[in-house]
Formats: sequence, structure tokens, C-alpha cells
Amino acid sequence: MADAVFSTLVEAPAPKSNMGEPVPRYDARAKVTGSALYASDVALPDVAYAFLVTSAIAKGRVRSFDLREARALPGVLDILTHGNIGDAIRPVKFFTEGGPASNSVLPLGSPEIAYGGQTIAVVLANSYEVARDAAHRVLVDYEIDRPSATFASPGAVDQELATQNKKHDDPKVGDFAGAYASSPVTVDVSYSTPAQHHNPIELFATQCSWTGAQLTVHEPSQNVYGIKNGLAAQLGIEPSQIRVVSPYVGGAFGSKGGLTQRTALVAVAARKLGRPVKLVPTREQGFTVATYRSETKHRVRLGASRDGRLQALSHDGFEVTSRPDPYAVAGTDASTRMYACPNIASSVTIVRADRSTPGFMRAPAETPYFFALESAMDELAVALAMDPVELRRVNDTMKDPIKGLPYTSRALIPCFDRAAEAFGWAKRDARPGSMRDADWLVGWGCATSAYPTQMAAASARVSLFPDGTARVETAGHEIGNGLYTVAAQVAAERLGLPVGRVTVLLGDTDLPPAPVAGGSISTASVCSVIAQACDAIRARLSDGTTPTGDLVAALKERGMGSVQEYAEWVPHGAPKGAMGMLYRGAAQPTGGAKLQDRIQFAFGAQFVEVRVHARTREIRVPRIVGAFASGRIMNTRTAHSQYMGGMIWGIGSALHEETEIDANAARYVNTNLADYLVPVNADVVDVEVIMVPEEDSQVNPLGIKGIGEIGIVGTSAAVANAVYHATGQRLRDLPLRIDTLVTGA
Amino acid sequence: MTNHSDDERPASVSRRRFLGATASTAAFPLVGVAAAGQAAAQTMPPPDPQAPVDVKLSINGEMYRVGLDVRTTLLDALRDHIGLTGSKKGCDHGQCGACTVLVDGRRTLACLTLAVAAQGREVTTVEGLARADGPLHPMQQAFVDHDAFQCGYCTPGQIMSAIGCVKEGHAGNDDAIREYMSGNLCRCAAYPNIVAAVRQAKLQMEG
Ligand code: FES
Ligand code: FES
Repeated sequence: MADAVFSTLVEAPAPKSNMGEPVPRYDARAKVTGSALYASDVALPDVAYAFLVTSAIAKGRVRSFDLREARALPGVLDILTHGNIGDAIRPVKFFTEGGPASNSVLPLGSPEIAYGGQTIAVVLANSYEVARDAAHRVLVDYEIDRPSATFASPGAVDQELATQNKKHDDPKVGDFAGAYASSPVTVDVSYSTPAQHHNPIELFATQCSWTGAQLTVHEPSQNVYGIKNGLAAQLGIEPSQIRVVSPYVGGAFGSKGGLTQRTALVAVAARKLGRPVKLVPTREQGFTVATYRSETKHRVRLGASRDGRLQALSHDGFEVTSRPDPYAVAGTDASTRMYACPNIASSVTIVRADRSTPGFMRAPAETPYFFALESAMDELAVALAMDPVELRRVNDTMKDPIKGLPYTSRALIPCFDRAAEAFGWAKRDARPGSMRDADWLVGWGCATSAYPTQMAAASARVSLFPDGTARVETAGHEIGNGLYTVAAQVAAERLGLPVGRVTVLLGDTDLPPAPVAGGSISTASVCSVIAQACDAIRARLSDGTTPTGDLVAALKERGMGSVQEYAEWVPHGAPKGAMGMLYRGAAQPTGGAKLQDRIQFAFGAQFVEVRVHARTREIRVPRIVGAFASGRIMNTRTAHSQYMGGMIWGIGSALHEETEIDANAARYVNTNLADYLVPVNADVVDVEVIMVPEEDSQVNPLGIKGIGEIGIVGTSAAVANAVYHATGQRLRDLPLRIDTLVTGA
Repeated sequence: MTNHSDDERPASVSRRRFLGATASTAAFPLVGVAAAGQAAAQTMPPPDPQAPVDVKLSINGEMYRVGLDVRTTLLDALRDHIGLTGSKKGCDHGQCGACTVLVDGRRTLACLTLAVAAQGREVTTVEGLARADGPLHPMQQAFVDHDAFQCGYCTPGQIMSAIGCVKEGHAGNDDAIREYMSGNLCRCAAYPNIVAAVRQAKLQMEG
């Protein structure tokens, strides 16, 4: 496990009120020395290698395989196909139906092809080189049907989300149509966002090894208990027979949250061979082994009085999903609740195509829906000849406009004010194209960021020892979020120990369960339960009601070898049976706009400068300022990195990222890191993160809101709004590219 | 996107200069490696694709002898055959930089280098920068100080690349660092912190 490094602090943001110390990451030394073991780093004795064969077509069926040449290669051990795997893998349900699967197509379940890149065979060999070679010698005879690729493709089927997912309700209030018709100033605009893939730098590896009837799985995961329980159901064994180990995750962003097809296949292969099996899918295969953010379309209509107050707001979203699974992000839940407005309507339509099932990707709902909402707000500001910051100010609200419930806290306007000041917004000349600097057209834009404050049930065990050390055990997930660090900090604080005396164990189903690392819930959920366990230790070492000062002294006084407490924590609004669901790997995040008595969000504001070259139309982002208020900040160093990473993701979302889809073949085209553009170092210059102090005692006892996702929300709109300011051209389709600026399309 | 180009390394940055600087700061094991490696490279028979090739690699100052499929990359040799898993696989195509190691002091993508081709050269991986409980290399320490990573998966490659970048003389200012570190993707997007770390470490490595 990681050694803690506590060196001189350099350039970490100084904590302000309600913020924790910027201690360096607990796992820093392990990560800079290469000793942190990620899933594919674990050496298993006598391991065999798996290589996937994936479908070259998006719809149809495998008529036959010719495996002779592949099998003839020395070193090939076996080739799994639908024809020989039998009933080794049982079907499990898609997660919106209450199951664990991120894609309900049964692995090697039939010759039918549901999407391009579907796994159709698994080659097993003594070496990686032979497995790869053999996989390329597998000959497949397909019967090809014409696939539907995306929106408006022949055969794609539109459905209202509410008819497909019983939990979805389109937010609406008042009389939108009437109010819109009578509004003196209106905008009616449409936007689109592309498919995007998470592309964490770590590949989607899985290693499985059996010892008798016990299975150990090494897989980078945001939900180890989800894998454990889901895989048990697939294999028809008890969850207690499976251990999932994932102490470090090399980036996830949502892509490692669900149970994908690969895990069961590797487990079955290892059982069949009687030896451990290692699978490291290629980068290209990762585009369909895991999930992605699907493309969306939006129509936003805003009606306002001349003073800028919203009278009518409507947001219609359209999202592509797969044939079998009704995945949708339904960002109208948030986009209809940002501003005071008496008349609101919304709808979400899903469009079924022959595609892999999409899934959660950093701020899944808010990223596309806030691009639309916050671009439209900017268009409204232009129509009103009003400053866009002032437009947000006059429409600020302390209650949910849909249900009238109070926000637990909401610092949107303080965030705008702090960021505007740091950015120098007061010097902005509002006229498009007015701020030219030699060959560069300079534009400034801004947008609102917001993310629902959610939590889920969590459990943890904390031990205190007479030598003044403590150990925290919980199956939370270190995905770069700094969970080791903040877990050590909260335990140190509650037990009165130096942070360097606390050991933290995470990411292992031998530990008490913690919820999925998604929805920005980890820090709030896991720190809450750790604090509770620490407080139980304090209570045990206290006589009656007096809290003991020095717990280690009290422990020694009693001659105890150690004291250990296990705690379970359930957030406000969690359903009955939340702890049971946690143990089954199915704890659902609650909060945001889903509570009966209140609404809870984190807020922020982002300001972007773009420079568009007057002749080439190259777009650069020399600086970006974001101010965020997210309740208690546990560690300003790791929080700064989280916010900054999110903002840079926002720049990527605005300017770079797009998974291109072949309209005829319904396959992804740019499935590698040279063609799927993500921001590189040279794309990022000045990123300023401002943490606005905020206290919110309602969301949870520690007052923590999540910070992992809010940084990306609204950023792409701020960039597009700045491009409009620079050029006078309003781009409504992401990513913003030179070609659209040149052609004006 | 730009990948860093080994060709742009100025001739003035010699391997000796690199090793000298590194050894003084990070207890670098350097015992008699080059001669043995070169001999192995010159006497090798043409490989039979079916038979394992006897490969001798000098890594972090230690000699390793492994039987490999001739198609094995340096990256897979390090990770799967030698047990040095600090170097990471992010693409296997020379597109991400996670596998960056130093070969004779030059930053090199281990996924695009066949293991057999690394014989007779000195390979330095992230494991070669600091002893288990010893002080960190200035670049490693700078990454810690500036929180120049989140998930840590790109980090070994970033650190090796950053050491190469400084040694090449491409860390003279922030713009140069940004440009010459752009072959190393960080999906967590720690870029500004990476630039700050390289800036700090450069002063220490050269001071
Ligand atoms: S693994 Fe070598 S460059 Fe990506
Ligand atoms: S730290 Fe996660 S990819 Fe760089």
C-alpha cells in the first residue's frame, strides 16, 4: 500500500474558511515511483493472455467462424465463441431495470450482432503476441443487415423517455406556451453535441484467477461491489466467492463504473483453462468495450421581459441510445431548475440506433444540457442587450422553480462576482469583434456551472492502535479523486492524530462496501462514514458522555490492544434498504433535485478568453477562470486539481473531442488517441481556480458537496459564447472547429 | 496533437551528461552495462519467429536475460517479462506517452520499440530514479509538490519525458515545456501542474 509523502508544500492553494489543509496526496510517492499497482500491473503466476475479436459490422449475425488457422498457431490455448461457451454466462439486467449491466447484450450469447465492436470471440494463448496474432487470423463470415447509425438514420426509432423509463418525469410548471407567446424578447435555438469517449489513459484491463471455487478479479473499477455482485449473478455463484481488487484506477470518468461484458468472459476463460487469464483490450477496442457519451440535440426556447426576467423556459433534449437499453442522461432535471421562471416545459426523447449502449461520462447530464442552456442564455443576453452576468443575477433563485423547494445553499452569484473580478470582466466591450489584438480576434464569454449534490450509503471500519496509528478500511475508489488523502485527513482530524499516522485501504471487496465513485458522491459519502466510525471510537473511549481529549492515551490507559469500530452511514433521502443495496453493489446516489423536501446543488461560474485568428480562424483558449462553491473542501490541493481537470475537460469538449460515426456502417471511425483529440499540454495555458468558501450544514454533517464533475459543466458554452464575442458568429454545434468558423455553417 | 520527437534532441545533450546529473541526485546504479549489451546485439542469429529469442537488456543498471517472442515490445518485456510495471501502456501505438522510458538517455516510446532493438543500450525506467526508501529524483519530488497528477497512470511516462525534456534543453520557458511535453497525454489534465513541476525540477537538476 501507498506510503504517504508529506513534503514541503509548494504552490498549493491556501485554505480559506471551511477548507482542509492541502496535504500532498497519500499515494503520491507510490504514483511517482511507479510502485502503485494498477490492475494490469499485478503479476499472476502462469498467466495466459486473452485477445478480443470484435465485430466488424454493426448489425446482423455471425454466419460462421473459420478458426482453423488461428487454432493452428503454436501457443494458442482456446478460442471462445458463442458456439462453444454454452450457458457459462447468465443474462443480467441493464442498470435502469435494476440490474448491474452497463449493456444488456449477453456476452457471446448468440450469433446476433447488436453494435459494431461487439465482442464475438476471445482468443487465449500462452503469450500476448500469439494471442494477438491468432485473433487476426480468425475468419468471420457475417450476414450483414443495414444498421441505423444516429439521429435521423433510416430505421432509428424515436421514443419519449418517460414511456421507456418509469422513473423519469419531464419537469414542467405553469403555462410555457402562453408565457412564451406573450414574452417581449424571445430566443428559439437548437444545439448539438457529439458522441465522446472517456479515454482514460489506463486501458480496460481485467485479470481473473481462480483458487478452487474462489475467484479474484483485478479490474480498474469505480464500483468493486457492483462487479462482485453482478459477476456472481452472471456466473451463477455466490458473491462471497468473488473478490474484486482495484486499489488504483488509472482514470475513469464514468467508464469504469459499470459491469461490462469483458469481466465474465475473462472469468470463464480462466476457469476453462485452469490458470489465470489477463486481458488488456486495445485502445481501439476500448471504444466499444466500455461506454461513451452519446450525441445529443437540443431545442431551447427562452422568453423574457425587457428587464431580463425569464417568463418562459423550455428545453427539449434528444439523445441517442442503443436498441436494447433505454440509457438517457435527461439533463432537463437540472437545466430547468437553474433560474427563477414561472413557466417551464421540457421533454426528453431517446433515439434507438444500432450502437453500443452509452453510459455515464463526467457530468453526464449537465455537460451537454448546459452547453445548450448556457449558450441560449448568452443569446438571450445579446437579444436583450444585457450583460450576461447581469442576466444570471436577475434570474437567480433560492428555490427550485419546478417544485418550489428551497436550495440548501446556492452561491451562484458570489461565484460570478469572484470570477468576473479575477477575470477583469468589467473591461469587456460587449460589441462582437471589438476586442481585436493584431491578427487575433479576442472574445470573452461566461457561463453557469452547477452539479447536483448527491450521496449514497457507505460503510467503513476504523481502527486505532496504542502506537498512535490508525487504519481506515472502506471499499471506496481512488480514481484520481484523492480519496486516500481525504480519507486519511478526516480520520486524522476526528481521532486527533497527525495525518501521516493514518493508513487507508481502498478498492477491495474484502473491505466494507462503499458506493460507486460516480455522481461526485465519493468524498461526501466516504468521509461521512469514516467520521462516524471515528466518533464511535471516541465514544467508546470516553467515560459516559465526556469526550476524551487524547484518544491514544485513553486507549493505553485501558490496556487495550486496539479499538475498532465499523460504521454505516445513510444519507438524507436514501431509500429504505439502502445499506442492503450497498452490500449488493447497487447503492443509488440520492440528492440533487430528487429529494422531497429540498434541492441541493454545487454552483460555479466560468469565464473564458478565446483568441480566434483573423485569417486562419484557429481557436485558442489562453485563459480560463472558474469560481466554485461546493460546501466544505477537504483538501485545497486535490480539490484544485479536480476543478482544473474538469475545466480542461470542458475546453476539450468545446474544441477537440468528437467520436466520429460512420453514417452507413454505424461504426466509430477515429478510435485512437491520435484521431480522437483530447487536450494536450500545449492546448492549455492559464487556468485559474477560485474556491469560494461555503457552508452547508444540511447536505451532510461534514457539509461536503461533490467537486469531481462541476468543473466541466458550462465550460463549453463559455467557450462558444466567447467565440461569438470574438467573431460575431454563433456556433451551436460542438466541437467548435475552424471549418465551421470559416464556412459559417 | 504533437508527439515529442527524439530527432530534435540537440547533439550537445550527451548521454554522459544525463547520467552524470542523474547519478548525483538519485543514487543511480551504473555498473558495467554497455559492453555486455553491445556484444549480445552483435552476435544474435536471425530470429526464428516460433522460437523464443534470448534477449539481454540493461535496465536501470542491471542486466536482465529473457526469452522473448521476437515481436515483443520493450514495453511488454518490461511489464510482462521483467516485472517492471512502472512504465504504462495507454495505447500501444505511440500516441499517449505513458510508456516513455529513456534509452541511452533519450526519451523513447517503449511501445514502439522492439525489445530486441533495445539490446546494447541502457534503458532507464521510472523504477530507476529512486531507491525504495531513498530520496526522490527532483522531477518526482516536483510532481509531488505541484500535484502534477491525479490518477497517476500517465505519471511515470510524464516524469521520464520531463527528465528528457530538461536534458534536451527544451524546458527553458513555460511555452517550451508545454510544447515539448505535449506528446504525453494526461487525461486527468494536470497540465498546468506538470508545467510547474518541470520548471521547479529543471532548476534543481541544473543547479
Ligand atoms: S503506450 Fe506507448 S505511447 Fe501510448
Ligand atoms: S494523472 Fe491521470 S492521466 Fe495523467
